[in-house]
Amino acid sequence: MQKHSQKEHLYKLLVIGDLGVGKTSIIKRYVHQNFSPHYRATIGVDFALKVLSWDAETVVRLQLWDIAGQERFGNMTRVYYREAMGAFIVFDVTRPATFEAVTKWKEDLDSKLVLPNGKPVPTVLLANKCDQGIDVLMNNGIKMDQFCKENGFVGWFETSAKENININEASRCLVKHIIASESDPVQSIESDIIKPHLNSSKIVSCSACFKS
Amino acid sequence: EYEEKTGRAHRPLSPKQNVRKNLDFEPLSTTALILEDRPANLPAKPAEEAQKHRQQYEEMVVQAKKRELKEAQKRKKQLEERCKLEDSIGSAVLTWNNEILPNWETMCCSRKVRELWWQGIPPSVRGKVWSLAIGNELNITHELYDICLARAKEKWRSLSTGGAEVECEDAGFSAADREASLELIKLDISRTFPNLCIFQQGGPYHDTLHSILGAYTCYRPDVGYVQGMSFIAAVLILNLDTADAFIAFSNLLNKPCQMAFFRVDHGLMLTYFAAFEVFFEENLPKLFAHFKKNNLTPDIYLIDWIFTLYSKSLPLDLACRVWDVFCRDGEEFLFRTALGILKLFEDILTKMDFIHIAQFLTKLPEDLPSEEFFTSIAAIQMQSRNKKWAQVKRLLIFDNR
Repeated sequence: MQKHSQKEHLYKLLVIGDLGVGKTSIIKRYVHQNFSPHYRATIGVDFALKVLSWDAETVVRLQLWDIAGQERFGNMTRVYYREAMGAFIVFDVTRPATFEAVTKWKEDLDSKLVLPNGKPVPTVLLANKCDQGIDVLMNNGIKMDQFCKENGFVGWFETSAKENININEASRCLVKHIIASESDPVQSIESDIIKPHLNSSKIVSCSACFKS
Repeated sequence: EYEEKTGRAHRPLSPKQNVRKNLDFEPLSTTALILEDRPANLPAKPAEEAQKHRQQYEEMVVQAKKRELKEAQKRKKQLEERCKLEDSIGSAVLTWNNEILPNWETMCCSRKVRELWWQGIPPSVRGKVWSLAIGNELNITHELYDICLARAKEKWRSLSTGGAEVECEDAGFSAADREASLELIKLDISRTFPNLCIFQQGGPYHDTLHSILGAYTCYRPDVGYVQGMSFIAAVLILNLDTADAFIAFSNLLNKPCQMAFFRVDHGLMLTYFAAFEVFFEENLPKLFAHFKKNNLTPDIYLIDWIFTLYSKSLPLDLACRVWDVFCRDGEEFLFRTALGILKLFEDILTKMDFIHIAQFLTKLPEDLPSEEFFTSIAAIQMQSRNKKWAQVKRLLIFDNR
């Protein structure tokens, strides 16, 4: 009955990161609430749709683009970045090399995609497979916070698609930042400095996403 | 146990022989409990009630008999069909083995063979036919396979022990080589037909798949390992011995279309997509317009289909039949198959929006009806304004220059 007053947002989200870090598993867990250790490798791009009732007046439809992780596909899959509103960059905590690739993925993303206001798209870092008990870096959350600030991530989460840990939380964090960046009027990049109050409010909402 | 039960249920029938006599066979599912006399401590059944029960019982029997007869006829028909199919496969095997394979060069292009080919190659000769059709332009020998494999093994050993000399030696190919590393192949092998459970760690074909992919990265370090290859190698392993699978694999990947895709030659891939769109518009103009309107570009679904030659997206038996005709007709059949899929689902696809089409095509229904599917492919015309696939492609390549 209140349908007419509901706002609907459609957001295209990218899920990127090295091969085999669990991008497809995270999406399957998030959208279909299940997990299988037997997913087939993604070739090209796979798709999923998640509908969230964000609040009483807002429905959020998330179009998830699950992009193949092999570096070689780079040229081919970059066209899929177009018009995305947010991104998850995923790495596998049991394989340090996939974390080393995170900055490369982030740089690549930022160089190929900016929001209409000229800012980089909100991106959340996911440290997946945290159920495996093999911590290559996780015992220093402060360093991760620092890493995210330096590299422009709006938040980071230790996730497990297998045990369903933190995936909904990570998505809420990303959507919150997308909504905030949408309400941000079109302006130049210097706006951060011109309007410090806007910026500081972002830091508050951001650190709320971080694990305390 | 079931028979035992029904047998017991029938035993009380015996006093009513008159009912049983006119049955040519006993329906399994009826009992005649309502014909029983009442226990001694109760008043006896009135005659008309007994008569009514007899009638009801007879009606039930007639119904059950009808049903069972129908079932039996259906089973018989299914059996006949299966026998017919097995017969036709059996005779096809004979034809392939005795007539076609020994005279391959002269017969492979004849109309009769081409028609038999379209029906699907019997699994027992499939590998041989594929090998012959793919050919061995590269002149790869079994020895070369052994050499490449030995090199791959050496490299993996030194990678796992962190040897430095190998890195130096391969400096020229460092990017491709890093991708070709043991870890990458290992990661993908576990994700190749996971539901078959034969390529995974501990499965019977795990080492074979590993070896072929490893040997290929040594044979063609400039191409290296690219995702999608594991599916192609796996399908070949299911139909050929290891070294022959390697030969077919290398020659298959050496074909222009496969080379363009596996080397991720973006310009050439776009040319293939553009050629595909020419035939898409020609064959399915309504759906083509719908896709255009929704910004659904062919790369979104074709990349997966072409890279894995449909082995990931179609049920394995259908994929093998697509491979059969792909071996006969070459790359154009891959694109014809894509159009066949689009045609088969045209009605539902026209009603979908971007995300639903994308989801549908990247995960096709698992119960694809095989005959309808091939009928749909057969209905696709690979002719556009008198130009065939190769001509359209050539013109597009020319335009790009």
